[in-house]
Amino acid sequence: MATVMSAVPQISLQGVHKKYPNGTVALRDVTLMIPKQDFVFLVGPSGAGKSTLVRLLIREEKVTEGKIHVEGQDLSRLKRRHLPFLRRKIGMVFQDFKLLPNLTVFQNVAFALRVTEGALRHLKPKVEEVLSIVGLEGKENKFPDQLSGGEQQRVAIARALVHDPRIFLADEPTGNLDPATSWEIIQLLLQINARGTTVLMATHNREIVDVMRRRVVAIESGQIVRDEDAGGYHAPALESR
Amino acid sequence: MHRLWNRVDFAFSSAWQNFWRNAAVSIASVLIVWVVLLALGSLLLVLHSLDQIVALEKTKASAISVYLADTTPLSSAMDFKLHLESDPRVTAVSYVSKDQAMARFRQLPALDPSVIDTLGTNPLPASLDVTVKDIRDLGAIDQAVRLSPLVDRSPATNYEPNVIDKIILLARVAGIAGLVLIIGLTGLSVFIIMLTIRTAIYLRRKEIEVMKLVGATDWFVRWPFIVEGLFVGVVGAVVAVLIVGFGYHPAVVNLQSVLIFVPLSFDQYYLRLVLAAMLGFGLLLGSVGSYLGVRRFLKQ
Repeated sequence: MATVMSAVPQISLQGVHKKYPNGTVALRDVTLMIPKQDFVFLVGPSGAGKSTLVRLLIREEKVTEGKIHVEGQDLSRLKRRHLPFLRRKIGMVFQDFKLLPNLTVFQNVAFALRVTEGALRHLKPKVEEVLSIVGLEGKENKFPDQLSGGEQQRVAIARALVHDPRIFLADEPTGNLDPATSWEIIQLLLQINARGTTVLMATHNREIVDVMRRRVVAIESGQIVRDEDAGGYHAPALESR
Repeated sequence: MHRLWNRVDFAFSSAWQNFWRNAAVSIASVLIVWVVLLALGSLLLVLHSLDQIVALEKTKASAISVYLADTTPLSSAMDFKLHLESDPRVTAVSYVSKDQAMARFRQLPALDPSVIDTLGTNPLPASLDVTVKDIRDLGAIDQAVRLSPLVDRSPATNYEPNVIDKIILLARVAGIAGLVLIIGLTGLSVFIIMLTIRTAIYLRRKEIEVMKLVGATDWFVRWPFIVEGLFVGVVGAVVAVLIVGFGYHPAVVNLQSVLIFVPLSFDQYYLRLVLAAMLGFGLLLGSVGSYLGVRRFLKQ
């Protein structure tokens, strides 16, 4: 966990500022170290800067000031043509799943392998493997709109896992799901974490954060206001003991 | 090797799927390519015909026929020929007898030989065809030969300075107008195809977003769209090529019967060049349009 920080962190942000062209300051002086195999909840109100932080990690956005290293690579120096190779090391899921509606479950997952030019003969076994990890055997030929929200998120997770990512970023993965389904998704993320993958999950889900007692990084108005191991959704002072 | 195959297979299969999935947009693009190429091909053929006419008129223009009176004996005609050949401005002189003149006349395209036969006697004069180094000397030579008693009086030569100047001017104007038209059409069509393909891509921005998210390279994202542009280009070009290819010969034949004295001819070799150019241009339009269309979505 956060105390085991002797090794080089897998993700590090140092004095990161992010200002959008329209003048909005999304992050101010954010410094954060995440070691390998950590499980981190990123919490905070809407517009606090959680999504911006996630987008910076896959360099969908560039920092205005400061440095971000992911897997030893300085993201501000990473050339555009090397960006796809960084993204193959990072699995991502979102609140809105981002599945392609005209492709089946199998094709949605296979799509991620195909567009990264994986060998076609390894494709089928690999897709079947990740679909069984997320518990979707037998649903390979269904289309996304024939699935429940929880199942759709499982497809998205399977797609993110297909490259054996070292880092798993989840931006509000349970935002559209009912409590029971949310717990199933969390169980999956724990399972992925147990296999050695670092998980960073941005969330609003107070119940899950409070029960899990994992590392919690809280952001408010673009600044980290709290970073504690085995934390809750709110600062300890606010919680009834 | 399998990576290359995967890339090719992915590009072709998704381009094919997308071509049919957005059939309306695809057909719109095909129509634009088709219209542009049809216009381009026809324009090239018309310009070529004009070129042929000008070239023929120019070779004709550097020569004049000096018509000899029917009373001129052959020996005097030969002396006159030698006299003209000694002129430093002249490159060649050839004698054309009355019979040869008639034979030439019969070869004019679309002239009915039976009409000529009804004439009975041969009304055409023998002539000396004089070729000069510089067209500008033609006037002086025309003036000189008119003084000779051997020369026919009605008319003495076929020298027509105004006609030649007009033909050259017309050809130049037509050439410039054609070039402007081709450049304009090309620019317009690339722009329209870019917009059309951008519309098609806009419908699939989610797909591009996902591709980039899971780590596809820019070229991997681009290829299916470029292949789709090539499909559009090929289909549009093939239809246009068929129409121009099969339409050119009947068009020339019909025009020849209307414009009897315009030396139009069917140029098989040039037609092939034009058809190849149309196909190549169609491919170029489709792929460049796609490349420009997809660029905006990759930059995000």
